Amino acid sequence: MPIEVNRDSGTLIIQTEERVDSANAQTFYQELESAIDSEDRAVVMDMERLSYISSAGLRVILQTARKLQQQNAKFAICSLTGTVREVFEISGFDRVIDIHSSQAEAVAAVNG
Amino acid sequence: MTDKAEAYRILVVDDEPDVEPLVLQRMRRSIRSGQYQFVFAQNGVEALQKLEQDTDIDMVLSDINMPQMDGLSLLERIPEVAPDTRSVIISAYGDMKNIRSAMNRGAFDFVTKPLDFDDLRVTIERTLNNLAAWREAESSRVRLAAIENELDVASKMQQSILPTEFPTTDNFEVFGNMTPAREVGGDFFDIFNLENGCIGLAIADVSGKGVPAALFMMASRTLLKGSAIGLNDPGRVLQEVNDLLYDDNDAMMFVTVLYAVYDPATRELTYANGGHNLPVIVHADGSNTVMPSTNGIALGILDGGEYEQSSITCAPGDTVVLYTDGVTEAINVGEEEFGMERLQGIFTSAPGDCRTAVEAVFDAVSDFAGEAPQFDDITCLALRVK
Repeated sequence: MPIEVNRDSGTLIIQTEERVDSANAQTFYQELESAIDSEDRAVVMDMERLSYISSAGLRVILQTARKLQQQNAKFAICSLTGTVREVFEISGFDRVIDIHSSQAEAVAAVNG
Repeated sequence: MTDKAEAYRILVVDDEPDVEPLVLQRMRRSIRSGQYQFVFAQNGVEALQKLEQDTDIDMVLSDINMPQMDGLSLLERIPEVAPDTRSVIISAYGDMKNIRSAMNRGAFDFVTKPLDFDDLRVTIERTLNNLAAWREAESSRVRLAAIENELDVASKMQQSILPTEFPTTDNFEVFGNMTPAREVGGDFFDIFNLENGCIGLAIADVSGKGVPAALFMMASRTLLKGSAIGLNDPGRVLQEVNDLLYDDNDAMMFVTVLYAVYDPATRELTYANGGHNLPVIVHADGSNTVMPSTNGIALGILDGGEYEQSSITCAPGDTVVLYTDGVTEAINVGEEEFGMERLQGIFTSAPGDCRTAVEAVFDAVSDFAGEAPQFDDITCLALRVK
């Protein structure tokens, strides 16, 4: 599960790739752990290239969200595709995680 | 799995003198066939003495309120004296406070008063299956400490909590099945007999894998059962379970649950949804519909989460099909998803009975997936109104 990480004027932008299922969720978690700095205050996860996420993957997103909350960072996700969007809607997670339709909107939200 | 060369020994702890003759009478077949042996104690102190002297005891079935030492104090002492046992508590109907305390002190399950011996038999069977799985795991853990083995333990725990008996009455029938993925998922389902002939149906999917997820699954299932028999409204049941799971959930595990109560007297199905896939209802004419959605998030992550409930009135011949995302998200070799459309497409005519409906779902998913590996547990539970 390779992720792509960029820092753009104070915002950490994480691109997620392909699929996150129970087989690679742990790797995903570790990659996020090392990508996120304790000084980060604004983090966006762009899911445009993510085609599938299982419940194990959702849990990693939640753990990340909680960790960022503890370090007083703002966190948003964006650009969810069909199936991934459905998973967030069915599970009700769209009510606890800040979701935006584009990366620009998400970046604005975490810097607001 | 409860096959064992010698009989399982069960210690019954209760201060009421009627309990001993009642248990011996109602469980006489299992005693005569050599499946179970029962020993009795009147209170916690006596129970501990018995456990110290008789190291072959496999299971403790204990009342809560007793003189000298009560059931909750007994539970705390059992791990020191007899670590290789499982305990089941006898509680008052709907007494969540004591049930919760008992679970925190390591009880595996509970039954309610007055004792329903059919339920007790099923509970004993499940408890001993779980014990057998742990014993096997424990002995293989000594042999090899591999990840595969840990998954094997979790998988056995998962199998041991599934119902093995399905109710059939003049008014309705129920059937369910689960095919676990090689890498353990966390699906389970359960069926509860409630007051006034009502029946509770739960289907759930726990996030994550391995032993921590399996333990979370055990907790979810027990809390669900406890709340289901104490509260009538599915919405309140999910709310209570969510609150209980939310406490001490630093690992951010969660469980999606669809919980429904069917009342055969009115043919009304009342349900609440905690972030789970919505059931499909197949009507007698072969048409089908997805049940209307209700608000609710997966359980364990949102403090004070609320769960809306809704009701539908079933018609004779309706089959309600509950399932997990292992069905809709199964993929084929071309990486296409099975999806809702294919699920609904299975039912072009009313299934003859529940087993047929459930098997039709498994067959369709298996035909679709072909050689593609199964990533998640596949679970399906059906209720048919007669």
